[in-house]
Amino acid sequence: MRDLILSLLIISITLSFNLGLVQPALYLKAGENMARFFSLLGLRADLLGEAWWAVVETFVMSLFGVASGGLAAFLLAPYASPLIVQPRLSWFVRAVASAVRTIPSVLWAIFFVILVGPGPAAGALALALYTATYLVKLFYEALETVDKELYDSLRAIGLRGLPLALALFVHVRRQVVSHVLFMLEYNVRTATILGFVGAGGVGYYILQYLSMLDYAAVTTYVVATIAFVVSIDAVSYLLRTRV
Amino acid sequence: MSQSQFFPTPCLEAEDLYFSYGEREILRGVSIEVKPGDVVAIMGRSGSGKTTLLKIFAGLLKPHRGVVQVLRCEVDKPCFESVRPRIAYIPQSLGLVSGATALYNVLLGRAPRHPFNFVFGLWSRRDVEEAVEALRVVGLGDKAKMGVDKLSGGEKQRVAIARALFQKASVILADEPVSNLDAETAAEVTKLLVKPSQDGVAVVAVLHDQDIAFEFFKRVYVLKGGMLVEM
Repeated sequence: MRDLILSLLIISITLSFNLGLVQPALYLKAGENMARFFSLLGLRADLLGEAWWAVVETFVMSLFGVASGGLAAFLLAPYASPLIVQPRLSWFVRAVASAVRTIPSVLWAIFFVILVGPGPAAGALALALYTATYLVKLFYEALETVDKELYDSLRAIGLRGLPLALALFVHVRRQVVSHVLFMLEYNVRTATILGFVGAGGVGYYILQYLSMLDYAAVTTYVVATIAFVVSIDAVSYLLRTRV
Repeated sequence: MSQSQFFPTPCLEAEDLYFSYGEREILRGVSIEVKPGDVVAIMGRSGSGKTTLLKIFAGLLKPHRGVVQVLRCEVDKPCFESVRPRIAYIPQSLGLVSGATALYNVLLGRAPRHPFNFVFGLWSRRDVEEAVEALRVVGLGDKAKMGVDKLSGGEKQRVAIARALFQKASVILADEPVSNLDAETAAEVTKLLVKPSQDGVAVVAVLHDQDIAFEFFKRVYVLKGGMLVEM
Protein backbone atom coordinates (compact mmCIF):
# COMPACT_ATOMS: atom_id res chain seq x y z
CA MET A 1 0.00 0.00 0.00
CA ARG A 2 2.86 2.35 0.87
CA ASP A 3 4.37 1.70 -2.58
CA LEU A 4 1.08 2.58 -4.24
CA ILE A 5 0.76 5.87 -2.32
CA LEU A 6 4.38 6.76 -3.14
CA SER A 7 3.81 5.96 -6.83
CA LEU A 8 0.69 8.16 -6.94
CA LEU A 9 2.62 11.02 -5.31
CA ILE A 10 5.50 10.77 -7.78
CA ILE A 11 3.12 10.66 -10.77
CA SER A 12 1.14 13.68 -9.48
CA ILE A 13 4.24 15.84 -8.91
CA THR A 14 5.82 14.90 -12.24
CA LEU A 15 2.69 15.55 -14.27
CA SER A 16 1.89 18.80 -12.48
CA PHE A 17 5.13 20.22 -13.93
CA ASN A 18 4.16 19.00 -17.40
CA LEU A 19 0.71 20.57 -17.10
CA GLY A 20 2.13 23.92 -16.01
CA LEU A 21 0.49 23.72 -12.59
CA VAL A 22 3.66 24.71 -10.67
CA GLN A 23 3.63 28.45 -11.43
CA PRO A 24 2.93 30.98 -8.65
CA ALA A 25 1.58 33.48 -11.24
CA LEU A 26 -1.16 31.04 -12.19
CA TYR A 27 -2.49 30.90 -8.63
CA LEU A 28 -2.30 34.67 -8.17
CA LYS A 29 -4.44 35.12 -11.27
CA ALA A 30 -6.85 32.41 -10.11
CA GLY A 31 -7.22 34.20 -6.76
CA GLU A 32 -8.07 37.51 -8.46
CA ASN A 33 -10.63 35.80 -10.72
CA MET A 34 -12.22 34.01 -7.80
CA ALA A 35 -12.64 37.26 -5.86
CA ARG A 36 -14.27 38.89 -8.89
CA PHE A 37 -16.49 35.84 -9.46
CA PHE A 38 -17.72 35.65 -5.87
CA SER A 39 -18.60 39.35 -5.93
CA LEU A 40 -21.01 38.60 -8.80
CA LEU A 41 -22.70 35.67 -7.05
CA GLY A 42 -26.05 35.90 -5.31
CA LEU A 43 -29.53 34.43 -5.31
CA ARG A 44 -32.34 35.83 -7.41
CA ALA A 45 -35.62 35.31 -5.61
CA ASP A 46 -37.57 36.23 -8.75
CA LEU A 47 -36.15 33.13 -10.48
CA LEU A 48 -36.98 30.59 -7.75
CA GLY A 49 -40.29 29.59 -9.37
CA GLU A 50 -38.66 29.19 -12.78
CA ALA A 51 -35.78 27.21 -11.24
CA TRP A 52 -38.28 24.94 -9.47
CA TRP A 53 -40.00 24.09 -12.76
CA ALA A 54 -36.65 23.45 -14.43
CA VAL A 55 -35.80 21.04 -11.63
CA VAL A 56 -39.19 19.32 -12.00
CA GLU A 57 -38.55 18.95 -15.74
CA THR A 58 -35.14 17.41 -14.98
CA PHE A 59 -36.75 14.98 -12.55
CA VAL A 60 -39.42 13.97 -15.07
CA MET A 61 -36.70 13.24 -17.65
CA SER A 62 -34.74 11.17 -15.12
CA LEU A 63 -37.79 9.27 -13.94
CA PHE A 64 -38.88 8.46 -17.48
CA GLY A 65 -35.33 7.29 -18.24
CA VAL A 66 -35.19 4.95 -15.27
CA ALA A 67 -38.77 3.65 -15.70
CA SER A 68 -38.68 2.89 -19.41
CA GLY A 69 -35.00 1.92 -19.42
CA GLY A 70 -35.51 -0.33 -16.39
CA LEU A 71 -38.48 -2.00 -18.02
CA ALA A 72 -36.49 -2.64 -21.19
CA ALA A 73 -33.61 -4.00 -19.10
CA PHE A 74 -35.95 -6.44 -17.31
CA LEU A 75 -36.97 -7.86 -20.66
CA LEU A 76 -33.49 -7.84 -22.21
CA ALA A 77 -31.28 -8.96 -19.30
CA PRO A 78 -32.47 -12.61 -19.44
CA TYR A 79 -31.33 -12.71 -23.08
CA ALA A 80 -27.89 -11.57 -21.95
CA SER A 81 -27.54 -14.37 -19.42
CA PRO A 82 -26.22 -17.78 -20.47
CA LEU A 83 -28.23 -19.20 -17.55
CA ILE A 84 -31.41 -18.41 -19.49
CA VAL A 85 -30.54 -18.53 -23.19
CA GLN A 86 -27.94 -20.09 -25.47
CA PRO A 87 -24.45 -18.65 -24.79
CA ARG A 88 -24.19 -17.33 -28.38
CA LEU A 89 -27.37 -15.26 -28.06
CA SER A 90 -26.32 -13.98 -24.63
CA TRP A 91 -22.93 -12.98 -26.03
CA PHE A 92 -24.61 -11.06 -28.87
CA VAL A 93 -27.00 -9.18 -26.55
CA ARG A 94 -24.13 -8.35 -24.19
CA ALA A 95 -22.02 -7.06 -27.06
CA VAL A 96 -24.81 -4.78 -28.36
CA ALA A 97 -25.58 -3.46 -24.86
CA SER A 98 -21.89 -2.88 -24.23
CA ALA A 99 -21.47 -1.00 -27.52
CA VAL A 100 -24.41 1.31 -26.74
CA ARG A 101 -23.13 1.84 -23.20
CA THR A 102 -19.70 2.86 -24.43
CA ILE A 103 -21.18 6.08 -25.83
CA PRO A 104 -21.86 8.56 -22.98
CA SER A 105 -25.46 9.67 -22.46
CA VAL A 106 -24.57 13.26 -23.38
CA LEU A 107 -23.59 12.08 -26.87
CA TRP A 108 -26.83 10.10 -27.12
CA ALA A 109 -28.60 13.34 -26.15
CA ILE A 110 -26.98 15.12 -29.13
CA PHE A 111 -28.11 12.21 -31.34
CA PHE A 112 -31.70 12.48 -30.10
CA VAL A 113 -31.69 16.29 -30.42
CA ILE A 114 -30.90 15.67 -34.11
CA LEU A 115 -33.67 13.06 -34.33
CA VAL A 116 -36.53 14.68 -32.38
CA GLY A 117 -35.35 18.27 -32.00
CA PRO A 118 -34.20 20.17 -28.89
CA GLY A 119 -36.10 19.81 -25.63
CA PRO A 120 -36.68 17.41 -22.74
CA ALA A 121 -37.95 14.61 -25.04
CA ALA A 122 -34.45 14.21 -26.52
CA GLY A 123 -32.89 14.09 -23.04
CA ALA A 124 -35.46 11.60 -21.76
CA LEU A 125 -34.86 9.26 -24.72
CA ALA A 126 -31.08 9.46 -24.25
CA LEU A 127 -31.41 8.62 -20.57
CA ALA A 128 -33.80 5.75 -21.31
CA LEU A 129 -31.42 4.20 -23.83
CA TYR A 130 -28.38 4.55 -21.61
CA THR A 131 -30.28 3.30 -18.54
CA ALA A 132 -31.53 0.23 -20.43
CA THR A 133 -28.08 -0.85 -21.55
CA TYR A 134 -26.48 -0.11 -18.17
CA LEU A 135 -29.18 -1.96 -16.26
CA VAL A 136 -28.96 -4.92 -18.65
CA LYS A 137 -25.38 -5.35 -17.47
CA LEU A 138 -26.21 -4.90 -13.78
CA PHE A 139 -29.23 -7.22 -14.03
CA TYR A 140 -27.48 -10.09 -15.81
CA GLU A 141 -24.64 -9.82 -13.33
CA ALA A 142 -27.21 -10.01 -10.51
CA LEU A 143 -28.76 -13.11 -12.11
CA GLU A 144 -25.35 -14.73 -12.19
CA THR A 145 -24.89 -14.28 -8.45
CA VAL A 146 -27.85 -16.59 -7.79
CA ASP A 147 -27.03 -19.69 -5.76
CA LYS A 148 -26.31 -22.53 -8.22
CA GLU A 149 -28.49 -24.93 -6.23
CA LEU A 150 -31.53 -22.66 -6.56
CA TYR A 151 -30.92 -22.48 -10.30
CA ASP A 152 -30.50 -26.27 -10.47
CA SER A 153 -33.69 -26.92 -8.51
CA LEU A 154 -35.70 -24.69 -10.86
CA ARG A 155 -34.10 -26.07 -14.02
CA ALA A 156 -34.63 -29.64 -12.77
CA ILE A 157 -38.40 -29.13 -12.66
CA GLY A 158 -38.36 -27.71 -16.20
CA LEU A 159 -38.51 -23.96 -15.54
CA ARG A 160 -36.81 -22.00 -18.33
CA GLY A 161 -36.89 -18.76 -20.29
CA LEU A 162 -38.63 -15.69 -18.88
CA PRO A 163 -40.44 -17.55 -16.03
CA LEU A 164 -37.04 -18.81 -14.84
CA ALA A 165 -35.59 -15.30 -15.11
CA LEU A 166 -38.53 -13.89 -13.16
CA ALA A 167 -38.04 -16.38 -10.30
CA LEU A 168 -34.33 -15.54 -10.20
CA PHE A 169 -35.10 -11.79 -10.26
CA VAL A 170 -37.35 -12.24 -7.23
CA HIS A 171 -34.45 -13.98 -5.47
CA VAL A 172 -32.08 -11.05 -6.16
CA ARG A 173 -34.69 -8.33 -5.82
CA ARG A 174 -32.63 -6.34 -3.28
CA GLN A 175 -29.83 -6.00 -5.81
CA VAL A 176 -32.31 -5.15 -8.56
CA VAL A 177 -33.97 -2.39 -6.54
CA SER A 178 -30.57 -1.05 -5.51
CA HIS A 179 -29.44 -0.90 -9.15
CA VAL A 180 -32.64 0.87 -10.25
CA LEU A 181 -32.19 3.49 -7.51
CA PHE A 182 -28.53 3.88 -8.46
CA MET A 183 -29.59 4.60 -12.06
CA LEU A 184 -32.19 7.12 -10.85
CA GLU A 185 -29.43 8.98 -8.99
CA TYR A 186 -27.19 8.74 -12.06
CA ASN A 187 -29.94 10.02 -14.35
CA VAL A 188 -30.71 12.96 -12.08
CA ARG A 189 -27.05 14.03 -12.13
CA THR A 190 -26.69 13.49 -15.86
CA ALA A 191 -30.00 15.19 -16.71
CA THR A 192 -28.72 18.40 -15.15
CA ILE A 193 -26.06 18.74 -17.86
CA LEU A 194 -28.01 17.39 -20.85
CA GLY A 195 -29.46 20.87 -21.31
CA PHE A 196 -25.98 22.04 -22.36
CA VAL A 197 -26.55 20.20 -25.64
CA GLY A 198 -30.16 21.33 -25.96
CA ALA A 199 -31.75 18.23 -24.48
CA GLY A 200 -33.88 19.98 -21.83
CA GLY A 201 -33.66 20.13 -18.08
CA VAL A 202 -32.03 22.61 -15.72
CA GLY A 203 -28.77 22.62 -17.69
CA TYR A 204 -30.45 24.44 -20.56
CA TYR A 205 -31.34 27.39 -18.30
CA ILE A 206 -27.91 27.43 -16.64
CA LEU A 207 -26.29 27.65 -20.07
CA GLN A 208 -28.59 30.52 -21.10
CA TYR A 209 -27.78 32.59 -18.00
CA LEU A 210 -24.07 31.77 -18.28
CA SER A 211 -24.01 33.18 -21.79
CA MET A 212 -25.61 36.39 -20.40
CA LEU A 213 -22.96 36.44 -17.60
CA ASP A 214 -25.84 36.55 -15.08
CA TYR A 215 -24.01 34.67 -12.33
CA ALA A 216 -26.67 35.37 -9.69
CA ALA A 217 -29.22 33.57 -11.87
CA VAL A 218 -26.75 30.73 -12.45
CA THR A 219 -26.19 30.44 -8.70
CA THR A 220 -29.96 30.27 -8.12
CA TYR A 221 -30.26 27.37 -10.57
CA VAL A 222 -27.18 25.60 -9.18
CA VAL A 223 -28.48 25.85 -5.60
CA ALA A 224 -31.88 24.50 -6.73
CA THR A 225 -30.10 21.65 -8.52
CA ILE A 226 -27.98 20.79 -5.47
CA ALA A 227 -31.07 20.78 -3.21
CA PHE A 228 -32.85 18.54 -5.71
CA VAL A 229 -29.96 16.05 -6.08
CA VAL A 230 -29.47 15.85 -2.31
CA SER A 231 -33.23 15.19 -1.85
CA ILE A 232 -33.19 12.41 -4.45
CA ASP A 233 -30.14 10.83 -2.78
CA ALA A 234 -31.91 10.96 0.60
CA VAL A 235 -35.13 9.41 -0.74
CA SER A 236 -33.09 6.75 -2.56
CA TYR A 237 -31.22 5.93 0.66
CA LEU A 238 -34.49 5.60 2.59
CA LEU A 239 -35.99 3.31 -0.05
CA ARG A 240 -32.87 1.12 -0.06
CA THR A 241 -33.05 0.59 3.69
CA ARG A 242 -36.69 -0.47 3.45
CA VAL A 243 -36.32 -3.13 0.75
CA MET B 1 -55.14 -56.79 -11.10
CA SER B 2 -52.97 -56.47 -14.20
CA GLN B 3 -49.44 -57.73 -14.43
CA SER B 4 -48.11 -54.17 -14.72
CA GLN B 5 -49.43 -53.42 -11.24
CA PHE B 6 -47.51 -56.37 -9.83
CA PHE B 7 -44.39 -55.47 -11.81
CA PRO B 8 -44.63 -51.73 -12.43
CA THR B 9 -42.39 -50.15 -15.04
CA PRO B 10 -39.40 -48.46 -13.39
CA CYS B 11 -39.72 -44.70 -13.24
CA LEU B 12 -35.98 -44.28 -12.91
CA GLU B 13 -33.41 -46.55 -14.48
CA ALA B 14 -29.66 -46.02 -14.54
CA GLU B 15 -27.37 -48.44 -16.29
CA ASP B 16 -23.61 -48.63 -16.08
CA LEU B 17 -23.01 -44.96 -15.23
CA TYR B 18 -19.52 -43.52 -15.27
CA PHE B 19 -18.61 -39.99 -14.25
CA SER B 20 -15.35 -38.31 -13.36
CA TYR B 21 -14.11 -34.88 -12.33
CA GLY B 22 -10.89 -34.55 -14.31
CA GLU B 23 -8.76 -37.58 -13.56
CA ARG B 24 -10.82 -38.52 -10.52
CA GLU B 25 -13.37 -41.16 -11.44
CA ILE B 26 -16.31 -40.73 -9.10
CA LEU B 27 -18.88 -43.18 -10.50
CA ARG B 28 -17.83 -46.52 -11.92
CA GLY B 29 -20.56 -48.59 -13.44
CA VAL B 30 -23.48 -47.52 -11.27
CA SER B 31 -26.77 -49.25 -12.07
CA ILE B 32 -30.07 -48.89 -10.24
CA GLU B 33 -33.77 -49.35 -10.92
CA VAL B 34 -36.43 -47.43 -9.00
CA LYS B 35 -40.10 -48.28 -9.35
CA PRO B 36 -43.17 -46.21 -8.47
CA GLY B 37 -43.63 -46.19 -4.71
CA ASP B 38 -40.00 -47.14 -4.03
CA VAL B 39 -38.24 -45.31 -1.22
CA VAL B 40 -34.50 -45.40 -1.77
CA ALA B 41 -31.72 -43.97 0.37
CA ILE B 42 -28.21 -43.46 -0.96
CA MET B 43 -25.49 -43.13 1.62
CA GLY B 44 -21.74 -42.76 1.47
CA ARG B 45 -18.83 -40.69 2.64
CA SER B 46 -18.47 -37.03 1.75
CA GLY B 47 -17.16 -36.69 -1.79
CA SER B 48 -18.19 -40.23 -2.72
CA GLY B 49 -20.41 -38.95 -5.56
CA LYS B 50 -23.89 -39.07 -4.01
CA THR B 51 -24.85 -35.53 -5.06
CA THR B 52 -23.32 -36.09 -8.50
CA LEU B 53 -25.45 -39.21 -8.94
CA LEU B 54 -28.60 -37.36 -7.88
CA LYS B 55 -27.80 -34.52 -10.31
CA ILE B 56 -27.40 -37.06 -13.10
CA PHE B 57 -30.83 -38.49 -12.22
CA ALA B 58 -32.24 -34.94 -12.36
CA GLY B 59 -30.68 -34.32 -15.77
CA LEU B 60 -28.42 -31.59 -14.40
CA LEU B 61 -25.21 -33.47 -15.18
CA LYS B 62 -24.46 -35.74 -18.10
CA PRO B 63 -22.80 -39.08 -17.36
CA HIS B 64 -19.62 -39.76 -19.29
CA ARG B 65 -20.88 -43.25 -20.01
CA GLY B 66 -24.09 -45.11 -19.40
CA VAL B 67 -27.77 -44.40 -19.77
CA VAL B 68 -30.32 -42.82 -17.41
CA GLN B 69 -34.02 -43.02 -18.11
CA VAL B 70 -36.56 -41.14 -16.04
CA LEU B 71 -40.23 -41.86 -16.73
CA ARG B 72 -39.18 -43.74 -19.87
CA CYS B 73 -37.21 -40.89 -21.37
CA GLU B 74 -33.43 -40.69 -21.58
CA VAL B 75 -32.16 -37.61 -19.78
CA ASP B 76 -30.30 -36.12 -22.74
CA LYS B 77 -33.14 -36.66 -25.23
CA PRO B 78 -35.52 -33.80 -26.24
CA CYS B 79 -38.45 -35.59 -24.58
CA PHE B 80 -36.80 -35.04 -21.20
CA GLU B 81 -37.90 -31.38 -21.08
CA SER B 82 -41.52 -32.57 -21.01
CA VAL B 83 -40.66 -35.06 -18.25
CA ARG B 84 -38.96 -32.48 -16.00
CA PRO B 85 -42.18 -31.05 -14.48
CA ARG B 86 -42.81 -34.54 -13.03
CA ILE B 87 -39.44 -34.59 -11.25
CA ALA B 88 -39.00 -32.74 -7.97
CA TYR B 89 -35.42 -31.96 -7.05
CA ILE B 90 -34.64 -30.72 -3.55
CA PRO B 91 -30.97 -29.66 -3.31
CA GLN B 92 -29.03 -29.36 -0.06
CA SER B 93 -29.77 -25.63 0.14
CA LEU B 94 -33.45 -26.44 -0.65
CA GLY B 95 -33.71 -24.23 -3.74
CA LEU B 96 -36.17 -21.77 -2.25
CA VAL B 97 -36.55 -18.27 -3.64
CA SER B 98 -35.58 -15.97 -0.80
CA GLY B 99 -37.60 -12.82 -0.27
CA ALA B 100 -40.72 -14.61 -1.51
CA THR B 101 -43.50 -16.17 0.54
CA ALA B 102 -43.89 -19.88 1.29
CA LEU B 103 -46.94 -19.89 -1.03
CA TYR B 104 -44.95 -18.37 -3.91
CA ASN B 105 -42.29 -21.04 -3.48
CA VAL B 106 -44.88 -23.80 -3.53
CA LEU B 107 -46.65 -22.36 -6.59
CA LEU B 108 -43.29 -22.40 -8.38
CA GLY B 109 -43.73 -26.18 -8.54
CA ARG B 110 -46.31 -25.77 -11.30
CA ALA B 111 -44.71 -22.78 -13.02
CA PRO B 112 -43.23 -24.95 -15.82
CA ARG B 113 -46.73 -26.26 -16.64
CA HIS B 114 -48.41 -22.85 -16.39
CA PRO B 115 -45.70 -20.28 -17.26
CA PHE B 116 -48.21 -17.57 -18.22
CA ASN B 117 -50.05 -17.87 -14.89
CA PHE B 118 -46.73 -17.73 -13.06
CA VAL B 119 -45.34 -14.68 -14.89
CA PHE B 120 -48.53 -12.64 -14.47
CA GLY B 121 -49.48 -14.05 -11.07
CA LEU B 122 -52.79 -15.24 -12.48
CA TRP B 123 -53.12 -18.53 -10.62
CA SER B 124 -56.53 -20.15 -10.59
CA ARG B 125 -58.31 -20.36 -7.25
CA ARG B 126 -57.94 -24.15 -7.45
CA ASP B 127 -54.15 -23.92 -7.85
CA VAL B 128 -53.85 -21.57 -4.88
CA GLU B 129 -56.10 -23.78 -2.75
CA GLU B 130 -54.06 -26.85 -3.66
CA ALA B 131 -50.82 -25.02 -2.83
CA VAL B 132 -52.18 -23.98 0.56
CA GLU B 133 -53.37 -27.56 1.07
CA ALA B 134 -49.83 -28.84 0.31
CA LEU B 135 -48.52 -26.44 2.95
CA ARG B 136 -51.20 -27.63 5.37
CA VAL B 137 -50.17 -31.27 4.81
CA VAL B 138 -46.63 -30.40 5.90
CA GLY B 139 -47.95 -28.42 8.87
CA LEU B 140 -47.47 -24.91 7.49
CA GLY B 141 -51.04 -24.06 6.51
CA ASP B 142 -50.95 -20.91 8.64
CA LYS B 143 -47.61 -19.72 7.27
CA ALA B 144 -48.48 -19.55 3.56
CA LYS B 145 -48.09 -15.77 3.39
CA MET B 146 -44.93 -15.70 5.48
CA GLY B 147 -41.57 -14.96 3.83
CA VAL B 148 -39.39 -18.08 3.65
CA ASP B 149 -36.48 -16.15 5.15
CA LYS B 150 -38.47 -15.89 8.38
CA LEU B 151 -39.03 -19.66 8.65
CA SER B 152 -36.86 -22.04 10.66
CA GLY B 153 -34.61 -24.65 8.99
CA GLY B 154 -37.17 -27.42 9.52
CA GLU B 155 -39.99 -25.26 8.17
CA LYS B 156 -37.98 -24.44 5.05
CA GLN B 157 -37.49 -28.19 4.47
CA ARG B 158 -41.24 -28.58 4.72
CA VAL B 159 -41.83 -25.82 2.16
CA ALA B 160 -39.52 -27.66 -0.26
CA ILE B 161 -41.50 -30.87 0.33
CA ALA B 162 -44.80 -29.00 -0.09
CA ARG B 163 -43.55 -27.77 -3.47
CA ALA B 164 -42.87 -31.38 -4.51
CA LEU B 165 -46.37 -32.42 -3.33
CA PHE B 166 -48.05 -29.53 -5.17
CA GLN B 167 -45.99 -30.26 -8.25
CA LYS B 168 -47.56 -33.74 -8.30
CA ALA B 169 -44.12 -35.15 -9.08
CA SER B 170 -43.72 -38.82 -9.95
CA VAL B 171 -40.12 -38.84 -8.75
CA ILE B 172 -38.74 -36.88 -5.79
CA LEU B 173 -34.96 -36.49 -5.63
CA ALA B 174 -33.73 -35.05 -2.33
CA ASP B 175 -30.13 -34.23 -1.49
CA GLU B 176 -29.50 -34.50 2.26
CA PRO B 177 -32.99 -33.27 3.09
CA VAL B 178 -32.55 -33.52 6.87
CA SER B 179 -29.02 -32.30 7.34
CA ASN B 180 -28.67 -29.58 9.99
CA LEU B 181 -31.91 -30.64 11.72
CA ASP B 182 -32.25 -32.04 15.22
CA ALA B 183 -33.16 -35.74 15.48
CA GLU B 184 -36.83 -35.17 16.23
CA THR B 185 -37.39 -32.66 13.40
CA ALA B 186 -35.32 -34.82 11.02
CA ALA B 187 -37.65 -37.78 11.69
CA GLU B 188 -40.77 -35.63 11.17
CA VAL B 189 -39.46 -34.16 7.90
CA THR B 190 -38.38 -37.59 6.61
CA LYS B 191 -41.85 -38.98 7.34
CA LEU B 192 -43.33 -36.20 5.21
CA LEU B 193 -40.76 -36.79 2.48
CA VAL B 194 -41.51 -40.52 2.11
CA LYS B 195 -45.28 -40.19 2.55
CA PRO B 196 -46.01 -39.56 -1.17
CA SER B 197 -44.61 -43.05 -1.87
CA GLN B 198 -47.98 -44.39 -0.63
CA ASP B 199 -49.48 -42.78 -3.74
CA GLY B 200 -46.89 -44.32 -6.05
CA VAL B 201 -44.30 -41.55 -6.01
CA ALA B 202 -40.69 -42.75 -6.08
CA VAL B 203 -38.46 -41.09 -3.52
CA VAL B 204 -34.67 -41.14 -3.83
CA ALA B 205 -32.76 -39.36 -1.09
CA VAL B 206 -29.10 -38.87 -0.34
CA LEU B 207 -28.57 -39.23 3.40
CA HIS B 208 -25.86 -39.19 6.00
CA ASP B 209 -27.87 -40.44 8.96
CA GLN B 210 -27.96 -44.26 9.10
CA ASP B 211 -30.75 -44.38 11.68
CA ILE B 212 -33.02 -42.27 9.47
CA ALA B 213 -32.10 -44.34 6.40
CA PHE B 214 -32.91 -47.71 7.97
CA GLU B 215 -36.03 -46.51 9.77
CA PHE B 216 -37.79 -44.82 6.85
CA PHE B 217 -36.31 -46.20 3.61
CA LYS B 218 -37.13 -49.61 2.16
CA ARG B 219 -33.92 -49.81 0.15
CA VAL B 220 -30.61 -48.45 1.36
CA TYR B 221 -27.55 -48.21 -0.89
CA VAL B 222 -24.01 -47.19 -0.13
CA LEU B 223 -21.86 -45.49 -2.74
CA LYS B 224 -18.35 -46.77 -2.20
CA GLY B 225 -15.42 -46.56 -4.59
CA GLY B 226 -17.74 -45.32 -7.30
CA MET B 227 -20.00 -48.39 -7.02
CA LEU B 228 -23.51 -48.65 -5.59
CA VAL B 229 -23.90 -51.47 -3.09
CA GLU B 230 -27.30 -52.42 -1.62
CA MET B 231 -27.29 -52.95 2.15
